[in-house]
Amino acid sequence: MHTKRLSLLPRSVLAVTISITLTACLQSEQQDEQVTINKNPFPSTYQSLPHQDTLIINATILTGTGERIEQGDILVRDGKIVQIGTDLTADNIKTIDAKGKWLTPGIIDVHSHLGVYPSPSVESHSDGNESTMPNTSEVWAEHSVWPQDPSFQTARAGGITTLQILPGSANLFGGRGVTLRNVPSQTTQGMKFPDAPYGLKMACGENPKRVYGGRKVAPSTRMGNMAGYRTAWAEATEYKRAWDKYNKDYAAGKNPTVPERNLTNDTLRGVIDGEILIHNHCYKAEEMAMMIDLGKEFKYHSGTFHHGIEAYKIADILAENKNCVAMWPDWWGFKMEAFDMVQENVAIVDAVKNSCAIVHSDSAITIQRLNQEAGKVMYRAQENGFALKEEDAIRWITANPAKALGLSDKTGSLEVGKNADLVLWNQNPFSVYAKAEQVFIDGAKVYDRFDEKYQALSDFMLGQPSVNQSIPSKK
Amino acid sequence: MKLFKPFIFVFACASVSAFYTSAINAETLAITNATIHTATDQGVLTNATVIIESGKIIAVNADKAAVDKADAVFDAKGQILTPGLIGSMNQLGLVEVNAVSGTRDASDKKADITFDASIGFNPRSTVIPYTRKGGITSNIVAPRGGESIFKGKTFAVDLSGSFDSIVASNNAILVDLGAKRKGSRAYDMQQLINKLEDAQKKLDKAKKKLAKEKADKKESKEDGNKKDSKKEDEEPVDYKRDELIINAVLAGTQPLVVYADRATDILALIKLKQRFGLNLIIRGAADAVLVTDQLVKAEIPVLINSMRNLPGSFDSLHTALNSAAILTSAGVKVGLSISYPHAINDPHFLYQLRFDAGNAIANGLSKDQGLAVVTANIADMFGLNSGAIEVGKNADLVLWSADPFELSSRVVKMWIGGDEFSTQSRQDALRDRYTTKSDMPRAYTK
Repeated sequence: MHTKRLSLLPRSVLAVTISITLTACLQSEQQDEQVTINKNPFPSTYQSLPHQDTLIINATILTGTGERIEQGDILVRDGKIVQIGTDLTADNIKTIDAKGKWLTPGIIDVHSHLGVYPSPSVESHSDGNESTMPNTSEVWAEHSVWPQDPSFQTARAGGITTLQILPGSANLFGGRGVTLRNVPSQTTQGMKFPDAPYGLKMACGENPKRVYGGRKVAPSTRMGNMAGYRTAWAEATEYKRAWDKYNKDYAAGKNPTVPERNLTNDTLRGVIDGEILIHNHCYKAEEMAMMIDLGKEFKYHSGTFHHGIEAYKIADILAENKNCVAMWPDWWGFKMEAFDMVQENVAIVDAVKNSCAIVHSDSAITIQRLNQEAGKVMYRAQENGFALKEEDAIRWITANPAKALGLSDKTGSLEVGKNADLVLWNQNPFSVYAKAEQVFIDGAKVYDRFDEKYQALSDFMLGQPSVNQSIPSKK
Repeated sequence: MKLFKPFIFVFACASVSAFYTSAINAETLAITNATIHTATDQGVLTNATVIIESGKIIAVNADKAAVDKADAVFDAKGQILTPGLIGSMNQLGLVEVNAVSGTRDASDKKADITFDASIGFNPRSTVIPYTRKGGITSNIVAPRGGESIFKGKTFAVDLSGSFDSIVASNNAILVDLGAKRKGSRAYDMQQLINKLEDAQKKLDKAKKKLAKEKADKKESKEDGNKKDSKKEDEEPVDYKRDELIINAVLAGTQPLVVYADRATDILALIKLKQRFGLNLIIRGAADAVLVTDQLVKAEIPVLINSMRNLPGSFDSLHTALNSAAILTSAGVKVGLSISYPHAINDPHFLYQLRFDAGNAIANGLSKDQGLAVVTANIADMFGLNSGAIEVGKNADLVLWSADPFELSSRVVKMWIGGDEFSTQSRQDALRDRYTTKSDMPRAYTK
């Protein structure tokens, strides 16, 4: 099919030139090389850490599918779960007796800024918000991630095995998010979750209108926000049409003009094509409802709402439209759109059929204790008549975020065939005294509370005068 | 002493009567059959009784006769009773919604050492009933000040939500030191040192002058002259407002709460305490674990955030989840506060103080110590007559469904100054509205 012809002209110039003269050409003409867009120019190089087959026995297992197995066992081979149940046996295998301990899927945080707003929070590393234009769909969070952020290690000690790093919320379109495996690596590619779909960060409400309104440029109101999204989607729709037409014409043997490449619209087009998932910072009920309709207007799915403080007001609409909602248990009051918090928000959203309620962190501190964050919701909801148990609450920080990230077939639950992402807890994980003792990613131990060999230290912290070192003093 | 009179440290017990005159009644309430975590050397008392009257605890573990005499008896059925928890170093009642400028009264560009934010305190804030859910009965409110290193005065409030809930205004002076976005930490430290030195010099000079005048007077009296008798009552120096405050700091009657993280700053402050005899509390204190011996020796308490375990800056490379335990076991008096600079720094998060204590327990504190760091230790630092269950203390009490530090427990009942208060808040009303079935729009559900 391809007719190879070298051109001395840059393709864009060629495109303009030939577009004037050759658009009416017929099929018989010679075809230029087809232009395709590389959708994965920074591919994952992640490899699981050294792992060995393991049998964990006698644990209280929360599967992430709504089930609980008392004195449960799980068999892991080649990084995958191969068996789960009770009274499992296997020969010549490393066996962990987890009597009195609890086992859950690896914890997933759908909303994190680790690496893009790292610790220490110095200006040099403040890379999370490209707040120079309201639509920066062309920026990718993975280009900002500092893999040496010490917060990755503390999050791992809290059982976090997978996390999505998002750009900030200054813009209507903040850019692409990236889903990472929480393993130490010198490169961001070395952390990228293989084959995870990209996310696109959007933001409703106060933040974009404050950032740009303060500069006397659009948007300065919520209606300005909405106009900004619609303008962008309308342009992206044309962009997609141009590329679809190009591909179709080329397939038909024509030699069509190559549409001009636009990185911003590449991302938006990916959303319309269903390849990139929306992650929308959106607090308020009326705004989430608008964003759902906006998706319908431009034929994409409105995705997951983040920080959905008012999700409980429209729990039925959210479930009906298959939107996941990521929420905090108790953050509120820091701005007007966070004023109507209720402590049972997650539970109210969760109670509707086909819902997808998520507990997220948005914090390098609370990401270390998403189990406790989910626990707060569970107990407050129980006090107010919700029949929720541990096996239900665990889904908010495992299976449901996996679904929001498009990774349900790989992680988020303990089922045969899934990646062996596991956390072994010293007790019921929904206790303030709970601690992750061992953490596994793809069957490989990445953290052990009692074995320093499995406690990674970032380059930044290595060699810093330690609190355990004696401090020299001149007498 | 006369010099410092307008700024004498107001203890809670001195001013609390003003508030409770409205609530005073002679009725006594006996809370029986409680598991009392006293936050005193008494530790935990089982199957115990507390009797409260006129807003105060009048008996702990009284005999049956005293209980029988009580006007009302409440059977705690073995549940845990603790002192009300004490928040600190936040902007409760000064900030309703952080991003709504009209609801922020904690700072002002020109605010200085004289800044008294208690004038702007709003006891009707929706944050207050919500915070009661966390078993918090009183709070040390800290303004954020302005450009000066002196951020103003802290003040103590109870969480009754009444118009007279300020228990003590002016109970400490705030200073912020350490890493700066612009400029040098050394300059700030120098400013503090200079301020103290200059004030001390002026005081010394005035003292000399006074002594000389006395001597002269004595001489002239001996001479039989009685002129200038009026002058005797006058202060020899006309001090300005800020000078009077610094004088009180130098006299040790006005505690100084200084934010400092790095060990070098903490050590410099220890020197200042020794040189000027300050009543010093250090907050932030990320590096305190490096200088525990010095802190113990200098008897300096610290206010820390137990959840702070990341190197947020080059000033805080050593803070960890077990910092509270390390400091406490070394003998440093520790209080937990949710304080800035931190991701979770505002009063809307204050209710979870008990979970911060729980995590500190999970990382090495005993349960008794975990209670003390959010009750008695804070009361000691700021001179509040609460934070412990013992005779004479304010009846600020919380009854818990189970372990107060656990995520699963809740406040069953709480008393502030002997009066019972609800933990219901606007959040509950919203939840009920949206979980109650109705054919009409939700707005009709009230």
